[in-house]
Amino acid sequence: MTSTPVLERPASPEGRRPRRVRRTTPRSTLTRGAGLGLGIAMLWFSILVLLPLSAVVAAAAEGGWGRYLSVLQNDQTWAAVTLTVSQAVLVTLVNVVVGTVIAWVLVRDRFWGKRALDVVIDVPFALPTIVAGLVLLSLYGPNSPLGLHWAFTPNAVTLALAFVTLPFIVRTVQPVLEELETDVEEAAASLGAKRSTIFRRIILPSLVPAITAGAALSFARAISEYGSLVLLSGNKPYETEVVSVRVLTFIENGNTASAAALASVMLAIALVVIVLLDVLQRRVSRRG
Amino acid sequence: MVSPPVKWGLRVLAVGYVFFLVAWPLALLVRQTFGNGLGNLVDALGDEQVTGALQLTAMIAFWAVVINLVFGVTISILLVRYEFPGKRVLSALIDLPLSVSPVVVGLALVLAYNGRNGLVGPELEARGVQVIFDSPGMIMATCFVALPLVIREVVPVLVEVGDDQEQAARSLGANAPQTFWRITLPSIKWGVVYGVVLSLARSVGEFGAVKIVSGNITGRTQTATLVVEQKYQNFQQETAYATSFLLILVSIACLLVVAFLRPKHDS
Amino acid sequence: MSIEVSGLTKKFGDFVALDDVSVSLPTGQLTALLGPSGGGKSTLLRIIAGLDTADSGTVSIEGVDATGLPAQKRNVGFVFQHYAVFKHMTVAKNVAFGLEIRKRPKAEIAHRVEELLELVHLSQFSHRLPSQLSGGQRQRMALARALAVEPSVLLLDEPFGALDAKVRKELRDWLRRLHDEVHVTTVFVTHDQEEALEVADEIVVINEGRVEQVGSPDQLYDEPANDFVMGFLGEVTTLGGVVLRPHDIEVALQPGLAGAVRGTVTRVLRVGFEVRVTVRTGDGDPTAVSAQASPETTVVLTRTHARQLGLDAGTQVWLTPASGATTVSSMAPAGRRAAVTSGV
Repeated sequence: MTSTPVLERPASPEGRRPRRVRRTTPRSTLTRGAGLGLGIAMLWFSILVLLPLSAVVAAAAEGGWGRYLSVLQNDQTWAAVTLTVSQAVLVTLVNVVVGTVIAWVLVRDRFWGKRALDVVIDVPFALPTIVAGLVLLSLYGPNSPLGLHWAFTPNAVTLALAFVTLPFIVRTVQPVLEELETDVEEAAASLGAKRSTIFRRIILPSLVPAITAGAALSFARAISEYGSLVLLSGNKPYETEVVSVRVLTFIENGNTASAAALASVMLAIALVVIVLLDVLQRRVSRRG
Repeated sequence: MVSPPVKWGLRVLAVGYVFFLVAWPLALLVRQTFGNGLGNLVDALGDEQVTGALQLTAMIAFWAVVINLVFGVTISILLVRYEFPGKRVLSALIDLPLSVSPVVVGLALVLAYNGRNGLVGPELEARGVQVIFDSPGMIMATCFVALPLVIREVVPVLVEVGDDQEQAARSLGANAPQTFWRITLPSIKWGVVYGVVLSLARSVGEFGAVKIVSGNITGRTQTATLVVEQKYQNFQQETAYATSFLLILVSIACLLVVAFLRPKHDS
Repeated sequence: MSIEVSGLTKKFGDFVALDDVSVSLPTGQLTALLGPSGGGKSTLLRIIAGLDTADSGTVSIEGVDATGLPAQKRNVGFVFQHYAVFKHMTVAKNVAFGLEIRKRPKAEIAHRVEELLELVHLSQFSHRLPSQLSGGQRQRMALARALAVEPSVLLLDEPFGALDAKVRKELRDWLRRLHDEVHVTTVFVTHDQEEALEVADEIVVINEGRVEQVGSPDQLYDEPANDFVMGFLGEVTTLGGVVLRPHDIEVALQPGLAGAVRGTVTRVLRVGFEVRVTVRTGDGDPTAVSAQASPETTVVLTRTHARQLGLDAGTQVWLTPASGATTVSSMAPAGRRAAVTSGV
């Protein structure tokens, strides 16, 4: 039953051995109970996510294209957008290199304290963002034992974003690297490939989807970051103010229309990232 | 496969980066908390603003985790075990909260549910339900940001265990609820536990979205993370450090639970 | 009739898994659904169990129309190829599952579980987890679990497919003996003709979504409905336009019998007690490059017989079908005759 198992157990293409069944007609296999569950879950998802996000888009659309232009043409807003995007790109690039190195070290290297390193990687994910800012201030703030006074400078933004996005690429690349058999590398070596060639031709191509997925998550997180910057960056206009802070300022000044316009631009970017992720995840992992 | 100098170089880069970015700052903050012994901690725990906020955080995190648990397990089973139109779109949308700014989440909830000019807020307020500037809104904001975490943990486990056992249970006469409670849930137990722990960490730590939705009213809608900000800006840095330390304890505890349980049950 | 299936059709996209299948399976017997992989036999079994639904057609079990019934209401026992053991429960708990669902008294459950574990020789493992058992033991546990609810029919989907050859053979004998003790109507799916011939009272041959033939192992072997059934149940070769078994060919060194086909031995292969002789029966030049174009016949002889004849490459021989040999015309198209329904 191994040659064409799809035909034998078609009801569970997501079974132990995932396989694709091409259906000419997409059909529903919902039972009555499952249908009810889906209904309730979708109702909650709409109340929690879809309705509020539509409210943002609706509020933004009221002013038409003119509002988008006037909000984005505002010098202070534009400065915030360029700072956020450039810092997010910079941090993502750093993560692509360092994150992949860390993942490699965690999978292939052996040394005392590796387990601790593995746990510490997740700290930025579990730590409250406001606390993350405070934590970074203790080493890079006014009382820095290193003598670095990076607080309230653009460097602080880089630091905060690097801190909160640290786990993303490490955690997407790590499992892929774990599944990559060392004997493939050994086979390449036995065929006369140099180390650099093995890395370039064998290891890197299999990691690219995972790195891209991690980079997308990292970028999305970086452009939307708020909490860790509050205490660390000082939110100085034209210098350290990021888009999220700008949106908050609009909200606090009662200018919800501008807030919604800027927020919907951020939402659009988030959506692009999600679509990209969905495509990549179908390649990297198994997801129903 | 890698020459010793390169290996050492990579090792130093990895450990150094994590040390300077995470480990050392974290250690410094803990040291500052205990700069004058247990004094800071005792003072903070004697401050009603802090204890009230901690209680509020606990309450909000509890409900957000319970809601996300039920929702997450339901959606995971639907995504893995059933076919229905729109499934792929739903699967992608579930991840959306991961990349939406907390500030945008807060704004979205305010625009939909505020009692003055929200999309549906006035109708709700007329029926006596206040969402914004009150706990329902704060729970919703927390649910939103932690939404995908349970699903991301449970889906791979459900795929891994397959549906053989569920089919066997059905052929032995078990109905859908019996199959779920006796077969499905026990076999995805650890995935659910990780999802809950991660959600808990995220929920306790939520800041931006809750700040906007809650109105940050001292003593009423101020959570622990909001207290940290306020105390730090009011030059009560010792209290801010002590409160942060308590939050760090919770997140590290969550991480350790995941780190020490996972390897045993993955195989 | 214990199970009556009528007009079942099931498609997966463009693929037709079952094409208007009708078959009756008698009460109390051990029936094998035999056929190549992807032929639709597992789909048929799963539809009988209610684990899949057919696009059209009906299923009745013990005279009750079960077509619309969900799996949990059909009272069938189902044994899966990969065991489908409940990993988080002990062996005893696994076996007790169906009884607990039916809310039987505790004492009765305990007694019944003990009895069944005795039957499948797993008494000493009752408190172990399935992960501590071997594959064969797990499958015996799964069988006890299915039998615990006293099903009206027991369905086994390639039950020994995931086991190694030796365990497979043991379990096969054991299933036959178990069935002689328990007498529950049993249907099992297999693609191994030896397994079907050895264990089953009745065999249903299924290929490409259709029933090719239904009958006892002897009937199928001696009177195959077509060359597909004949070929699937054992090795075949062709001689002068008929399909027959290689050991049903008589070899002579002189042209004696009428209708004998002349040929040249091209290869002699000794495998244990058998000798397999390849004979080119075409008129072509034996040294021709396109040797494959001329027809070849495989003959199986005993070692002694081959030695008596002194066969070697190049020997001229005359081949005739043995008297009483089962033959099927090779001109008949494979399979597409009317599906045969069991006459039992």
